[in-house]
Amino acid sequence: MKKECVAMLLAGGQGSRLYVLTGDMAKPAVPFGGKFRIIDFPLSNCTNSGIDTVGVLTQYRPLELNSYIGNGQPWELDRVDGGVHILPPYQSATGASWYKGTANAIYQNIGFVDLYEPEYVAVLSGDHIYKMDYSDMLRCHKESGAACTISVMEVPWSEAKRFGIMSVDGADHVTEFAEKPKEPKSNLASMGIYIFTWDKLRQYLIEDEADSASENDFGKNIIPAMLRRGEVMTAYRFEGYWKDVGTLDSLWDANMDMLLPGSGLNLLDKSWPIYGRSTVCPPTMIGPAADVGNSAIAKGCIIDGEVKNSVVSIGTVVGEGASVTYSVIMPGAVIEPGAQVHYAIVGENCRISSGASVGAPPESASDPDRWGIAVLGPGTVVASGQQVAAKTMLDRHQNGEVRA
Amino acid sequence: MNGMHGIIFSYEKKTGLRELIEHRVHGSIPFGGDYRVVDFMLSNMVNAGITDVGVIMHGKCQSMLDHLGSGKSWDLSRRKGGLKLLPAFAYTEHREGAGQFRGKMEALGCVKDYLSHIRQDYVVLCDSDLVINLPLDDVLSEHLRTGADITAVCTSHLGDSSDTYFKLDDAGRIVDTVRDVHTPVGYRCLNIYVMSTELLLRLVEDCMAHNEYSFRGAVLQKRGATLRIGGYVWDGYAARINTIQTYFQRSMELLRPEMRGELFCPSRPIIGKVNDAPSSYIDPTGECVNSLIADGCDIQGTVKNCILFRGVQVEKGAEVQNCILFKGTTVKSGAILRNVITDKYVTIKENGTLMGHESYPLVIARNSEV
Repeated sequence: MKKECVAMLLAGGQGSRLYVLTGDMAKPAVPFGGKFRIIDFPLSNCTNSGIDTVGVLTQYRPLELNSYIGNGQPWELDRVDGGVHILPPYQSATGASWYKGTANAIYQNIGFVDLYEPEYVAVLSGDHIYKMDYSDMLRCHKESGAACTISVMEVPWSEAKRFGIMSVDGADHVTEFAEKPKEPKSNLASMGIYIFTWDKLRQYLIEDEADSASENDFGKNIIPAMLRRGEVMTAYRFEGYWKDVGTLDSLWDANMDMLLPGSGLNLLDKSWPIYGRSTVCPPTMIGPAADVGNSAIAKGCIIDGEVKNSVVSIGTVVGEGASVTYSVIMPGAVIEPGAQVHYAIVGENCRISSGASVGAPPESASDPDRWGIAVLGPGTVVASGQQVAAKTMLDRHQNGEVRA
Repeated sequence: MNGMHGIIFSYEKKTGLRELIEHRVHGSIPFGGDYRVVDFMLSNMVNAGITDVGVIMHGKCQSMLDHLGSGKSWDLSRRKGGLKLLPAFAYTEHREGAGQFRGKMEALGCVKDYLSHIRQDYVVLCDSDLVINLPLDDVLSEHLRTGADITAVCTSHLGDSSDTYFKLDDAGRIVDTVRDVHTPVGYRCLNIYVMSTELLLRLVEDCMAHNEYSFRGAVLQKRGATLRIGGYVWDGYAARINTIQTYFQRSMELLRPEMRGELFCPSRPIIGKVNDAPSSYIDPTGECVNSLIADGCDIQGTVKNCILFRGVQVEKGAEVQNCILFKGTTVKSGAILRNVITDKYVTIKENGTLMGHESYPLVIARNSEV
């Protein structure tokens, strides 16, 4: 059946900069904020924006993500017509190939999009934390008559060189695009969220595929090609919280932002709910000896120790006398009595034994360059007496390394 | 033998639950921070592999209907079988529009058409006001092993005289059923019965033909001598919610780890309705100790020895002790609460003080502003 707008969610990236956390799963499946996974944000944004047809492009270690998305019921994307579809690369009569780039991933699924005969296609990333009304962006796209609308936000000038920067004219039409410019001409950064008029995008994807020199990437190829050919491209200014959680530091930051009033990331805000698949577990018990402050605690936990400035996910156990500060604890972790966890990301189902310690506060480091958050991959067991130093990563096979 | 069918009786009862049943039946009273009372028996059924459940309801069933919905949360939204809601209109015709039944057998007689379509060979009957984590598959195994006609679940923990009591012989057979005795003795009936579907249909027909309506009177007592009725003794956590005092006391017991261990044992999880609330947040100025908290709470004040349901807000400077706060309760800054139960969406205004007593907790009705 015909849909006005279909969303294509890019979820195939390896997420190599999340290192041990994405050893066995795609980046969008990484837990976030105690009860959610990263992909809940774009999926919930789709639901809240009235988009009921979503293709999720997967490639790298998709099992966890596939089973998490399932039939899409938690996001009300289990629809009679439309709904959520997992789109892995597939074999056709002429052969098969992996998704070579973001544009190629959509190119290989032109047939999927065509099923719904949409006028517009939203291309979204599976690794951003933000709440955004795509229907408002679509309205802007339609009003400006653009072939492509790119969501942008103002960033501090000093940081502009880390982003894809858009220069715009008085009507917010994009005049120039520069990927990580040394001398930025604007401070409007692309958020990697696009709405295209499908007829146009379809044509550019086919042309891009025919160009063997192309990297088949939206930012590097499609957007510059459209700009060169003088298509109307509009910048949609977004104000609000947005973070690309592609690195361990940004993932930790975004979790901490959740605890910070005024950061803009308020998950208790009921006007734009984030949905996620729930786990069956009883409410959280905060024991008589517990000391909890400035922390988000999900259900199913048993907290008997100290938890300060931390995000504690579903089914976590913190034993008596244990201390957890400035950390992100992912679901099912056990922090035994007396264990110490400071400035760390602890992966799912880790066990930190009594007498072990993970991470250290920045003030304890003699050399600031050698300080950073410590990270445990899912299922890591830290034995009694073992110390995982700041800025160190450890996986469940005890392969450790100090992050660059 | 092709499994068991579940039947839950959800009806109004005259009990001492005051404000808590103003808008709802016993089964839909919130319990344990994240559940309704009916979730416990429903989960017991699901955990025992039961796929078809009928809920017989009358009275203030709106909140129960909202809660159960299609049964999706319990994986009971099935193409065949699954959750079937059997509301009052199913038997108004039979009782000439009265819409009430006098006892379980009469209620069953009114849904006889439904009973005749049960696909399973065995049925379990139970009430919706019992908080228990019972291995029903084990009850069925025991039923099959002993060859009893009916197996009734009972406990050696005695209650009050209004309960039903069994006298068991050495072989575990129930030899006498009594009620309203001055001094309770024997085993207290938990109103959970397992029998074959075929026997149930036969009993329902026989009782209807004789204008008999009570399961206890007509079946356990009158036919007790001709039927072989066995007792299955369960001495784990089992709370019948029938007064404010028992509600408060049995809820507060969940703050003890051993009680939680029994009721929320991981091998038989209790399943509640799926919700979308985010994690609870505890502010730097907040203090929360010895409390059970659901998702979506915002704690900026002091919370001690409490059970907080979803989305409770405790503002800065508020002090809440020994309280049970239902979903959406807001305690404004400076308010002080002790031994209080607040129903859904209650607001306690700034600097208010509300004190109940442990033996007589104060109950604030739904949507009140105090």
